[in-house]
Amino acid sequence: MTFGSVDRRRFIGTSALAGAAAATTVHPGRLRAEETVRIGFLAPLTGGVAAWGLPGLYGCEIWAEQKNAAGGVEIGGTSYNVEIVSYDNEYLPDKARTGAQKLISEDGVSFIEMLGGDTMPAVTPIANRAEMLVSTLLPSDLSPDTPFLVAPAEVHPIYNLTGVWWMAENMPEAKTAVICAQDDALGRPSVATYLAAFEAHGIEVKDTIFFDISTTDFAPVMTAMLAHKPDILCLDTAYAEFVNELCKQAFVQNYGGQIISCTADFYADIIANTSEEFMEGVIFQFPDFDDPALNSEDINFNDPNGFFEVYNERHPGQWGAVSWEYASILDLWLDGAQKAGSIEPAAVLGGMKQGGKGAHAFGEANWWGEELFGIDNALVGNWPVVQIQNGKAVIVEFKSIPEWWGEHSATMIKHFEAMGEMWYQRA
Amino acid sequence: MMGVVTYAIWLALIALSLAAAALSLDPQLGGPHRRWWWQGLALASAAVLALSPHVVTFSQQELLVFLTINTLVVVSYRLLALTGEFSLGHVVMMGFGAYASALLSKQLAIPVPLSIILAAGLTGLVAFVLAFPLFRMKGFYFLIGSFAAGETIRLLWKAFIGPKGISRIPGVPDIEIGAWEINFWEPVASYYLILVIAAVSIWILWRIEHSHVGLTFHAVHWRDQLAGAVGVNTWRTRTQALVLASFFAGLAGALLAHYITTVNPNRFAVHEMVFVLIWVIVGGTATIWGPIIGLVTLTAINEVLLRDIGYDELRPLFYGVLLVLAMLFLPNGLETLPARLVRHFRRAKLLASQR
Repeated sequence: MTFGSVDRRRFIGTSALAGAAAATTVHPGRLRAEETVRIGFLAPLTGGVAAWGLPGLYGCEIWAEQKNAAGGVEIGGTSYNVEIVSYDNEYLPDKARTGAQKLISEDGVSFIEMLGGDTMPAVTPIANRAEMLVSTLLPSDLSPDTPFLVAPAEVHPIYNLTGVWWMAENMPEAKTAVICAQDDALGRPSVATYLAAFEAHGIEVKDTIFFDISTTDFAPVMTAMLAHKPDILCLDTAYAEFVNELCKQAFVQNYGGQIISCTADFYADIIANTSEEFMEGVIFQFPDFDDPALNSEDINFNDPNGFFEVYNERHPGQWGAVSWEYASILDLWLDGAQKAGSIEPAAVLGGMKQGGKGAHAFGEANWWGEELFGIDNALVGNWPVVQIQNGKAVIVEFKSIPEWWGEHSATMIKHFEAMGEMWYQRA
Repeated sequence: MMGVVTYAIWLALIALSLAAAALSLDPQLGGPHRRWWWQGLALASAAVLALSPHVVTFSQQELLVFLTINTLVVVSYRLLALTGEFSLGHVVMMGFGAYASALLSKQLAIPVPLSIILAAGLTGLVAFVLAFPLFRMKGFYFLIGSFAAGETIRLLWKAFIGPKGISRIPGVPDIEIGAWEINFWEPVASYYLILVIAAVSIWILWRIEHSHVGLTFHAVHWRDQLAGAVGVNTWRTRTQALVLASFFAGLAGALLAHYITTVNPNRFAVHEMVFVLIWVIVGGTATIWGPIIGLVTLTAINEVLLRDIGYDELRPLFYGVLLVLAMLFLPNGLETLPARLVRHFRRAKLLASQR
């Protein structure tokens, strides 16, 4: 048997030599790293919620690769290569429990990144026992019972208020809104936030419609929303495929008003399913990282434009809300570890929270959350408002969440309580 | 080394359940020593099941706990399938047991062991109430009816308890006997507890199937009008199967809830039911071992093999391919594989002797 002009024996021999050479040739930068630090990635990589897990894993792998190529990371006088160890929890609590046990007891990770939500209650007791530092994208997982849990990248759903705030300032003619949301741990606190933000800015909410996550036909949902003739359609924090379907339905049913959503993941697909004109002006909260606004000095994410370019080369069409978030958490973890001079989880937590401030991706931020979550483990500062302009996501302004909170905290707490989402109301 | 032992344990579990299915399906297998074969198989199974948590990794111990709980789910599901009805609400029944036990122990401070039993009983009671509308239907209509009933229950949890479900559910209390302490937080202790409960439950289900009641299940499945004509109350028979199957599904759910200490409505959604259906279809339903073979084999491939070789994201694809292959080449399930091989060898032996 031959492979082109090469016979089989020669092919195997050459391959073996090449393999041996590859195994023994180490990148010059890697020679400097003395040890390896392992970071666990415990999020949905398959199933309906994978869009908020898998793109994040891709981002972390790029982050680790860039650090390792630069000779690893320096912590407490030791140089470490970073290895990302992933476990697909399928957004199920039992699989998350098994994954946490594996990452902690077998893989020896020093830190675990999670999406949070439904999977967090099964992991919290394990993390507490092992005193393992865990991060979540959903601060609504935080409570006084979760001392080792931090929300350092995303203050979901609180940042959603920035979109409403910007809209109220720039589109004063929009006076009525209808909200729809999936009825789950992501949807409900987000509804509370939007209700508070709309109330704070004098926008009347005509109706709030919850749908189940097993919903496949969004025509009735959209018909019920449009029956109120709203100026604003609020899609809340719907899963990526739901946002796509809801936009399609709004397009089919000739909606011509403003749309606001927490995410618009894979928005190029949504435009392809509707039209550029229809999606023009849609407001959401997650920028593309090639945005020039991210080159400002206040931004702490290292080379966002370069990261975006590498990401899109490797995973074209896969950029979404979480693509940069998990990677930005790694920046904060590294910052904490370097301050602490250790990779020990408790020490890193101390380093992260040193001085009550942290270098969030979008600028310096405060550790906050006592009033809403019962613990100051969420990092809160500025958040971008993003608008689709000519088929492209563009940052229109950064808004300060603490500034809004200073004026309207009572309104937010009122709506969180009404929705049963305050930490002391959870079952 | 640990990896090799892990695979050996999973292969042993698959081989033992295949051997049990072969003995069940082929009455000639083993010849005059058939009883010895059964006894040997029972001893080997007991040894593997008792030893396995001590030779696998910590996360594999967790997997064994969930495997044991799921065994109870698939075997109880088969009991209903014996009457010819496939339900899409079985996982919701499991969830009902989980929710009921969580609420009883957390809100009413009922001791966990008692709450588990009460929850299983309540699940059976709910199944009894559901039997009135559901058994006005048969076949495909029952399938859709069971889905609708299940979704109604699941959405009621969302409406009245909340979409986040219940967390911080008390676990099974530790047992202290002198200086000896059993901590059920540890997967090994929970595994043995759940294994004993599952073994007793499966024995009860096996006894039911081989009793007069079980025979009527088969009769209702294959000749329901004839069975009715000779005095079998088909509605009552199907109701018995649904209530019993739901009781054990509720028991499995309650055990799950107290082990992972949290429940939420999404955990019992229809996509989870699809996994139960796949386990049962791939394994087969002719014997009690069929669903177990499907469960163990697919869990080993999905949770051990594919994760080990780093194909986390592609696991649903493999699952789909395996299901298609099983449907094409083993339409009666993996449980028929040993019997087919035995028949093949017998035929080859016969042909060789005739030459």
